[in-house]
Amino acid sequence: MNDPDVVVIGAGADGPAAASRLAREHGLDVLILEGGPWHGNEQWPEPHADAGGTVSTDPDDLDGKLLDDQFTHREADANDPTHGYLRVGPADHSRAPWFRNLHQNAFIWQVGAVGGTSLHYFANHPRAYPYAIDEQEHWPISYEDLVPYYQLNEEVTSTQQAPMTAKEEVFIEGATNAGYPLIDTKNVTETGWRPQANAVAVPGEETATDQPLDSNYEGSFSYDDGFRGDTLVGDHFQGSSTPIDAPVREKARKSANVSWVPRALDTNDDPEAGNVAIRPNAFVTNIETEEGLGTMEATGVTFRDSWSGSSQTVSADVVVLAAGCIESPRLWLNSGLPDDGWVGKGLTTHWFDWVVGVYDDDTVAEINPENEHMDPYVGQNSAVRFDKPGIGGLEDIGMSPGLVSYADYLFTEAGYSFDTPVDPDEPWDTRGYVVGKELKRRMSDYRQTKALLILTDDLPHQDNGVSLDNTFSDEHGPVPKVKYEPHPDDDAKRDELSRIAANIHREAGADHVHRCEWPPLLLHMQSTMRMGKVLDENAEAKNVSRLFVADHSALANGLGGPNPTNTGQALALRTADRIGDLYF
Amino acid sequence: MQGNDGNQVSRRGVVKGIGGLAALSMSNATFETAQAAMDAPLQSDPHTADTYRSIVDAIVPRTPELENELGPEHVPGGLDVGLEKFLIWDFNHFQEIRAEMVTEKDSLLDLSDDSGPEMPRSMFETAVDTTGLGSDLNAILDLADVSLLELDLDGEKLEEYLTFGSLVQLEIGFADWDETAEGPAEFELVVETTNESVHRVLQNYPYASIFTLVFDLVAAEFLTLGKNEDPVSPNEEFPGGGTFTRLSREDRLRCLWTIVDGGAIDTLDDLLSPLVPDVGILKYVVMAVNGLHGFGYYTEWSGYGDTKTNTPNERKMQQDPADVQSRQQSGYPGPAPGYAADWRHAVPGGFKDPKAKNLNLPDDLTGDDVIDGIGGDT
Repeated sequence: MNDPDVVVIGAGADGPAAASRLAREHGLDVLILEGGPWHGNEQWPEPHADAGGTVSTDPDDLDGKLLDDQFTHREADANDPTHGYLRVGPADHSRAPWFRNLHQNAFIWQVGAVGGTSLHYFANHPRAYPYAIDEQEHWPISYEDLVPYYQLNEEVTSTQQAPMTAKEEVFIEGATNAGYPLIDTKNVTETGWRPQANAVAVPGEETATDQPLDSNYEGSFSYDDGFRGDTLVGDHFQGSSTPIDAPVREKARKSANVSWVPRALDTNDDPEAGNVAIRPNAFVTNIETEEGLGTMEATGVTFRDSWSGSSQTVSADVVVLAAGCIESPRLWLNSGLPDDGWVGKGLTTHWFDWVVGVYDDDTVAEINPENEHMDPYVGQNSAVRFDKPGIGGLEDIGMSPGLVSYADYLFTEAGYSFDTPVDPDEPWDTRGYVVGKELKRRMSDYRQTKALLILTDDLPHQDNGVSLDNTFSDEHGPVPKVKYEPHPDDDAKRDELSRIAANIHREAGADHVHRCEWPPLLLHMQSTMRMGKVLDENAEAKNVSRLFVADHSALANGLGGPNPTNTGQALALRTADRIGDLYF
Repeated sequence: MQGNDGNQVSRRGVVKGIGGLAALSMSNATFETAQAAMDAPLQSDPHTADTYRSIVDAIVPRTPELENELGPEHVPGGLDVGLEKFLIWDFNHFQEIRAEMVTEKDSLLDLSDDSGPEMPRSMFETAVDTTGLGSDLNAILDLADVSLLELDLDGEKLEEYLTFGSLVQLEIGFADWDETAEGPAEFELVVETTNESVHRVLQNYPYASIFTLVFDLVAAEFLTLGKNEDPVSPNEEFPGGGTFTRLSREDRLRCLWTIVDGGAIDTLDDLLSPLVPDVGILKYVVMAVNGLHGFGYYTEWSGYGDTKTNTPNERKMQQDPADVQSRQQSGYPGPAPGYAADWRHAVPGGFKDPKAKNLNLPDDLTGDDVIDGIGGDT
């Protein structure tokens, strides 16, 4: 596609949603440039070893069995930030990842590929708390503006309530005993627990034996044998390509490469719609501009092919920045666009924490008479949650053991537990790093262990965010320098949520409760190119016309705590409509 | 200290014969010695290997005492699967330096604002030579071009405690430097220890060996300030290591923590700066040193057998992921295509969702408990 109407920078969770809408509803030709590889596409049979094709426009290029081969579901193979297939770096796996300078005990967890960080997400799709949009005064638009777009996004991503398995039943026991009610609405205004609204198809919609998917099911989980829907595997962080053998668009978990990417490519088969082309391995290094009528105007982009190293410029009527909360501001700054003090700033990340409960067999058996263990790898990774608008929320999490050892015991800002006293008034038994003999004891209880993720309603502060590093440069210019320090008010909310989490574990009968006190884990990144500051109510840059932002960086705050994917995609769909109305 | 990674190095050594010649000037070795070092099946020098081994030993130790409590499968630890190789591999593949982004200008001060984003070549070159200067501390002072008088440190104690163990000399520089080169730069790493020479040509900056010198320096300062809780002694399990490996298991970890929360970086900044391209990343490194045990030991990584330190595309599973040592200790059966499990929906009929125009949200959306005065936006 040599002459697109719109160039979208980044094929993560949000860019493909915007592109699909621009082509389908507004008849526009859209080129998506993605810096990382594309998995499960015949044009790139060995995406980490060989340059493969150039661009894909044909939905028939998508190949679910190829995706099964590439996503091995193994932990180090997938998740190691240096060598895993889900990392931020060039597709060529003989090369190191792209460097971000972080002067902190902290960790950035993103994925650079078609599908972006949604390739390793748990597919939780709650909406923002209405309170965070309407009452925190950061947003130039109202919650009601977003609802129709939530409804569209939820339909395309099969968002519905998550299934309860053994570990969720233990959570429900704890939340109910603690006196919290069940919430049955998507528009949450009061405290309580509820199943996750998540973008994973219903378990076992159809099975190989026509029998329901339950503990008696003895059939195959292969699509070719007739299995449809979720297979209850808890390895979504490894990419999850189940049911095996299913076409890409029929995979149960609706990451952007499964939901919006096929839908965007389908526009090429629709004579009424515009066209969408996606080019992976294409890292945008500059946003081209010219002086317009009294204002700067975006005219296109220059990108670099990560295999050949050659650069190319593409012109477009509108440029949409969807490279994520780190690379969007970095590209803005490396392009020399005007900075009024908020570009890259105001980073929110839900100031996570993690509270671990270890249970004994009898406690779990009493709650789940059918199950011997909780088995955190069975069922969806996160299927039930707790909401407290104004403070944040909690999520019940089960994962495979490498991730559990890291998240439960080897990531903290509290120091080593053997030196870290616990306030006797606090509801946890230990905190900080767990190592040595004690680590091995705790990991021997892996099958009876689960954690609660704390998602704090942290608010944007100008000190936090992304700037250009003045020490290191890579082939795309100065690398991003990232900083996140919580405000004391954010700490206070996090402490309150951690106490609630520990109490829920206790009320469910946990034997041992451990508070991790995570340092910043930058995963739910939001608001570095905020509406109301860098962007106007259309998500168009205030200082550069025809330049829009359609990724989580456009969110005006952290939504009150709920996971950002559903809102990021809903806002991207709205932004596509604004682009169509304003310029075409 | 063997494995497929060593073979890879030796292949590379042959291919890079010219690089080997160029290295003579750096290491003062004869060509035969240098070639022999490159062909040796060594992944890393004894100082580097033993320093990471001492960390693995502190976080995932062998635990014979757990045999009666939990069973014999809980006895072996990280060293039994070579976990130090995982840490070393990850740190050595941590950051690519592109040749076209490096300039001959040898100081950041030479770089004016309009000189572009290039990095000075000197940032990625360092040489520590402990011979002829009387002590390992003097070697570092010489490298940093400062005297103890200029530093707010107890030099006498620091000198007493600081040792790089078996390390005699370490040099890092660009291989085949060419100002017009583009693409990932290759680095030469030469380490001389009391009885071995290691000479490698690596793509990516070889951080792993440099971090171990940092840990020794931080350990010496840790001892100088009397922050150790256990006595210090040479550790026969880690004969190649320096000050860091002489600490007890818990003191090694307490020492690492002073990098994050104890001001070690600020105190030692002048001494560490010539070693590490950016001292600020060391807090991140402590996060990684701890966390990599999760990504290495408790995943399937050890099942790659003798391919476990190959580049990712060349790794081959040689053991069922469910059978690796740590999986036996955790009871995880490994990835599966699906699970037969009982499940239910918690909200009969699903969530309520009125159309936007029918939304009837409460007038007061302030949540249950809003903390006063929170607005963000500073």
